[in-house]
Amino acid sequence: MSEAIPLAGKGPAPEKSRTDSLPASLSNEYQDRLLLEAMKDWEINQAVLEPMSRTGPWFWVIVAVLAAIVAWGLYAWGYQIYWGFGVAGINRPVYWGFYIATFIFWVGISHAGTMISAVLRIFKVDWRRPITRGAEAMTAFALMMAGLFPLIHLGRVWKFYWMIPYPNNRFMWPNFQSPLMWDMIAIFTYLIGSSLYLYLAMIPDMAMARDNTVRWRYKLYRLMALGWRGTEAEWHKLHRALNIFSIIIIPVFLSVHSIVSWDFAVTLQPRWHSTIFAPYFVIGAIYSGLAALAAILVLVRWGMKLQNFLRMEHFNALGKVVMVAGLGWLYFWFAGLIVEWYGNEPVVMELLHEEFIGSLAPLFYLQMTCNVLPIFFLMFKKVRTTPVLLLTFAIMINIGMFIERVLIVIGDLQRNYLPFNWGTYRPTWVEISIVAMTFAGFSLLYILFSRIFPYVPVWEIKEGRLRYTLRRIGRLLIPTAAEIE
Amino acid sequence: MKEEKLFAENSPISSNRRWGMVIDLDRCTGCQACVVACHAENNVPVVGEAEAAYGRWMHWIHIERYWEGEYPNIKARFMPVLCQQCDEAPCEPVCPVFATYHTDEGLNAQIYNRCIGTRYCGSACPYKVRTFNWFDPEFPEPLKEQLNPNVTVRTRGIMEKCTFCIQRIRQVEEGAKMADRVLEDGEIQPACAQSCPPGAIVFGNLEDEDSLASKLASSRRSFRLLDELGTGPAVIYLKGGETNV
Amino acid sequence: MSIDLSRREFLKLATLSVASTAGACVPINSRTKDILEPQVLPPEDILPGDTTYYASTCRQCPAGCGIIVGTINGRAKKIEGNPAYPINRGKLCARGQAGLQDLYHPDRLRNAVKQSGGRGSRKFEALYWEDAIALLIQKLAGIDPVRVAFLGGKMPDHLYFLSSRWLEAMGAPPLVRFNLQSTLDGRITASKAAQSLFGSRQLPIYDIANAEVIFSFGANFLDTWQSPVAYSQQFGEFRQGQAGGRGFFVQFEPRLSSTAASADEWVPLRPGTDGLVALALGRIIVEKGLGHVGAFSQEEADLFRDVHVGELAEASQVQVEKLEQLALILASADRSLVIPGGYPAGQKNGFASYKAIQGLNLILRRIGQRGGVYLSQPSPIDTLPGAPAMDSFMEIMALIERMNSGEVEVLLIHGANPVYELPSAAGFVEAVNRVPFVVSFSSIVDETAVQSDLILPDHSYLETWGYQVASPGGDRPSVSSQQPVVQPLYDTRSTGNLILVLAEEQGGEVAEVLPWANELLFLEDASGGLFLSSLSPYNVKTAGDFWSAWRQYGGWWTRRELYQEPDVTGFFDQPLKAIEPSFEGESEEYPYHLYPYSGVALGDGSCAHLPWLQELPDPMTTACWQTWVEINPQTAHSIGVKDNEIVKVISPYGEITAVVVVYPGIRPDVIAVPFGQGHTDSGHYAANRGANPMQLLAAVSDEDSGELAWGATRVRVEPTGETHELARLESLEGEGRETIR
Repeated sequence: MSEAIPLAGKGPAPEKSRTDSLPASLSNEYQDRLLLEAMKDWEINQAVLEPMSRTGPWFWVIVAVLAAIVAWGLYAWGYQIYWGFGVAGINRPVYWGFYIATFIFWVGISHAGTMISAVLRIFKVDWRRPITRGAEAMTAFALMMAGLFPLIHLGRVWKFYWMIPYPNNRFMWPNFQSPLMWDMIAIFTYLIGSSLYLYLAMIPDMAMARDNTVRWRYKLYRLMALGWRGTEAEWHKLHRALNIFSIIIIPVFLSVHSIVSWDFAVTLQPRWHSTIFAPYFVIGAIYSGLAALAAILVLVRWGMKLQNFLRMEHFNALGKVVMVAGLGWLYFWFAGLIVEWYGNEPVVMELLHEEFIGSLAPLFYLQMTCNVLPIFFLMFKKVRTTPVLLLTFAIMINIGMFIERVLIVIGDLQRNYLPFNWGTYRPTWVEISIVAMTFAGFSLLYILFSRIFPYVPVWEIKEGRLRYTLRRIGRLLIPTAAEIE
Repeated sequence: MKEEKLFAENSPISSNRRWGMVIDLDRCTGCQACVVACHAENNVPVVGEAEAAYGRWMHWIHIERYWEGEYPNIKARFMPVLCQQCDEAPCEPVCPVFATYHTDEGLNAQIYNRCIGTRYCGSACPYKVRTFNWFDPEFPEPLKEQLNPNVTVRTRGIMEKCTFCIQRIRQVEEGAKMADRVLEDGEIQPACAQSCPPGAIVFGNLEDEDSLASKLASSRRSFRLLDELGTGPAVIYLKGGETNV
Repeated sequence: MSIDLSRREFLKLATLSVASTAGACVPINSRTKDILEPQVLPPEDILPGDTTYYASTCRQCPAGCGIIVGTINGRAKKIEGNPAYPINRGKLCARGQAGLQDLYHPDRLRNAVKQSGGRGSRKFEALYWEDAIALLIQKLAGIDPVRVAFLGGKMPDHLYFLSSRWLEAMGAPPLVRFNLQSTLDGRITASKAAQSLFGSRQLPIYDIANAEVIFSFGANFLDTWQSPVAYSQQFGEFRQGQAGGRGFFVQFEPRLSSTAASADEWVPLRPGTDGLVALALGRIIVEKGLGHVGAFSQEEADLFRDVHVGELAEASQVQVEKLEQLALILASADRSLVIPGGYPAGQKNGFASYKAIQGLNLILRRIGQRGGVYLSQPSPIDTLPGAPAMDSFMEIMALIERMNSGEVEVLLIHGANPVYELPSAAGFVEAVNRVPFVVSFSSIVDETAVQSDLILPDHSYLETWGYQVASPGGDRPSVSSQQPVVQPLYDTRSTGNLILVLAEEQGGEVAEVLPWANELLFLEDASGGLFLSSLSPYNVKTAGDFWSAWRQYGGWWTRRELYQEPDVTGFFDQPLKAIEPSFEGESEEYPYHLYPYSGVALGDGSCAHLPWLQELPDPMTTACWQTWVEINPQTAHSIGVKDNEIVKVISPYGEITAVVVVYPGIRPDVIAVPFGQGHTDSGHYAANRGANPMQLLAAVSDEDSGELAWGATRVRVEPTGETHELARLESLEGEGRETIR
């Protein structure tokens, strides 16, 4: 079923593109470095708006499958609520299992979006422009999925509101000493912050879409554009707001994963009780998040045919950042390991033994392969700029990072100071269904988002184009960049 | 009546108490009488074979058996392990809703109807003595009649653990208060201590130097489980295999 | 508002009520049990919401500890040890405390039933009690009384008395009683040996609390042996309560039981050689003149004259040096004590072993001494006789023989579950099929009830009356009383009352010797004799007051300690003999000795229907809910099995499957299987779970005692390749370590 976006009109009359008269060599350089196509503004608008209506049969099949998985997962959740938590595979001493591991995974994924968007925005890195919205949306949706898990893993989810500090006549307050409270506050802050950040940057595009669509889209975009007219004052405020957000969201995103790591690190559980956990978790999150972003961009580019906007240089740059994050992750992993190993504490050694040659060894080596191998391959530009390879390695990294979280949560809980109380863990269909539900849910939200909202931030691209002009000095044409932010 | 007065009367009975338990491992024979006593007193459910095999048994006190040596020079030693009622309990600060908290008498209280089941306390406890209600407990008729009305029956999704038989402590404390008399040592007996055939378990006030528990705790045989973690357990073990002399 | 009372005051309160209300219990029956507050006007001994305690007697094992049962609003809530009762002094074991679930078991029979679909059909048809009694009377009237057989078991002493008298008056053969736990305790051997050595059939008691060195030959007195609560309590004193320091305890047993685990030294003895080791130890003491000056006489020393230490050392596989060392430990102590337990008695040389072991106590001069051996006190009064030890296996075989030859037309079974408790090889099931009419008094449909035509369910022991003379006794003569703590839940009837009703219906001489309208009147009558005793602990003026005190305190015992010192003349008839053990099954084909044992949770299997006990971990293996087989690691390796694998255990008489527990505390040539599981009925918690090692045992007995030689069967083990995750407390990965350091 294909639904063409009804456009308001043909757009402004064709005008002569500024790059038309460029020599071929310079034109190429523009295209490669400056994201400039020989496209007119209205063509850009069209190029972004048009794929949103491109919903072929496969699109609906995918949506249906994802929706079915989500529905099944919701059933599984209802089943778990109705019968009790025992239908999940958690036991004593493995009180936390798949759910918490997936929770960390999604929090980790959510990191990259904001990080890439905010950090790059602050540093005024130009190649960020076409990918910021995709990244920010990933943050918001991954965080939504992550936010489900604190609810899913409650024994009595119907009492979840007791964690919310609301005034009540029993003077019952939540315990702000508990890392779970920090978690909740951090995640809510981050979710609100990143959603606003996503939305703010979308306002001018809403206005653009409003001006170019009719019917329900028009109504939606009109509502969301908040009456944006593109005046100087509006632009000024938008820029200021985005700058403030970019700066504020960075400590928030650092805090979120640090706090998630403190859920573990503040306990006395061997291997959890470690000072390196916070930075280790943060770098791991960035690593998996950036890889996830790369994978998503490859898929979206293919699905929505956005080759004009998502180009090799993005993958190249993203690949480099992933590689750097991977190296950082490896460094932190090793730094933690060497101290643990050198410390030679018996329980920790038991856990290390379990990972290296014990029952967790297959998972551990799979994890290490998935996490380390891509770092080396991503050193090659050929790999970084071949979407299929990049996609493969990005998915590998995410598999690796997911296993890493499983090893941290489940693997470490299986052993403790009293060998009498050691245990094992087997996930059940309920857990697998619910975990699958979040993956499907994320994909579904993302796919729908990409069809409802302009995936590529048009105004940012146009703004980028504005920065670059050609000045004729004498007989030379000199490309120049202006400070505009 | 003034409000302060009301609060003063309802406030915890007194804070010059630190309830503690001394377990003499030299007397313990591993007979499991304490386990059933605890089940009966505290409405602890049974979970069935499959669940028990998957580590979901719910005994509040369990007897750990350790092997030493190899056949034929092998020894087995028993250690009853229950909630250690730590001074610096790792389970307490992590609960987001204060379902587990520290009482004035040094106990780690667990408020069942406040618990939302994050199981964080269970993960944080180094002794792994907290148990979780994975399902609603089953007491087919008329087994319900055995339930102790002084102890809440927990529903699914709730953490529970040894309370040092808080209902018995309160009953005796309030009785003493009403009779306007001082509590005597040994008057309060948790179900496990009461049943223990060889008299291995002694309960008492560790703040009172004259209590039997205090005296036993000062034995040179005494040690605390995982003391090096700094949790400050109120359960004091007396090493087996030797005398106090 | 709550009024707090000490236990003693509770008991007083209970008494008042007992004295004033005939029923002494609160109405709760099938109609009212759903009502939260069953009484609008509660009986005066009931304070709603407060606990009222009733003293009674535990019937979960033959020990008969005194209990107090806390009841709230007419429901029994908690069973505790009776602090006043001199046997268990306020303590109670796991099984005793689980008795509540016997009362409130969901699968209890709620009325008299007839098995309408034929035996084994498990199709039951409810009967009115009048019809059921009429049916039984009709069956009894139609036959010659000698063709009636009554098989008893774990029955209260008053029921023993009433039923014995009833059978005698009818002219029927005497009651035959069998109880597996008693057999595993070696009670019959102990009683017969006491008859032979000490001239009294009373069970010997061992003053563990005051002993300095204890040598126990297979006596699991901390698990289930004879009177485990009393002995556990004494053990606590033995360990840490004595002024002189800590006692030293050596356990001789092929498997490291939890008693052996509590010992200072465990000697993994070759099965059946307990007597040989005892003789060797005695011989060394005599030969080397160990011990204190004048410890033994020449006459006593002569008992060991036919003994050759080297040969015995070889036979028992304990080195001579080791024996000498042990003998020195034993003889040097001031108060040493040697205890013959159940496992030596369960061998074909059991009686001889038993005598040899007691011989050690003789030469150590420990008989009738503080920290030594005494005899249980008999009942203080003739009107309250204590039941003697159970009948031996040989007598059971005689009954089975009678049944097989068609001499039994009506078989009554109370308190026993012979289908489950006897070795399958004994052929009870086949025999019972030859009996035209079988009546069971079981309160739950157990394996034997399934083989009967009529079930007349008795009350649970917490709903009924009775008394029990402590056996083995404590430090003074004691009789415990049993009283209902709640009104009967269901339309069940006390078998004692039923016998009185039958007697009345039958009339004539039978009615004359059983003149009481109900068992309560009988008990009041019978216990009244103690009222005037000068040793009585109660300061009561009237028989009525005595009857109150009897129920309030849970029985009667003397004010002060009163030991019965055994007479030792029976030793000197002939020198002690060494009898080599012999076993059923060829050692080539069946290489392992089977050591079936009763664990602290399920005991002999009569408590298997209680969920608390099903989930109670075995102290050594920490396993529950299943039957497992304990195999030495070396043996397991040679068979090629690991933990959680299912194996077949095969004897010449049958086979079972069980889950492997690799158990480091067992001899490589022995495998151990716990009793308790393998029920086909007995309620849904027990049914179709695990296996019954009785299916493996040979139906052989010790010639001298007639006791079932339950430890004399050899088996082989075959892997099946299947696995079963055994429910256990312990993590297998932890490898039994305490902390990892």
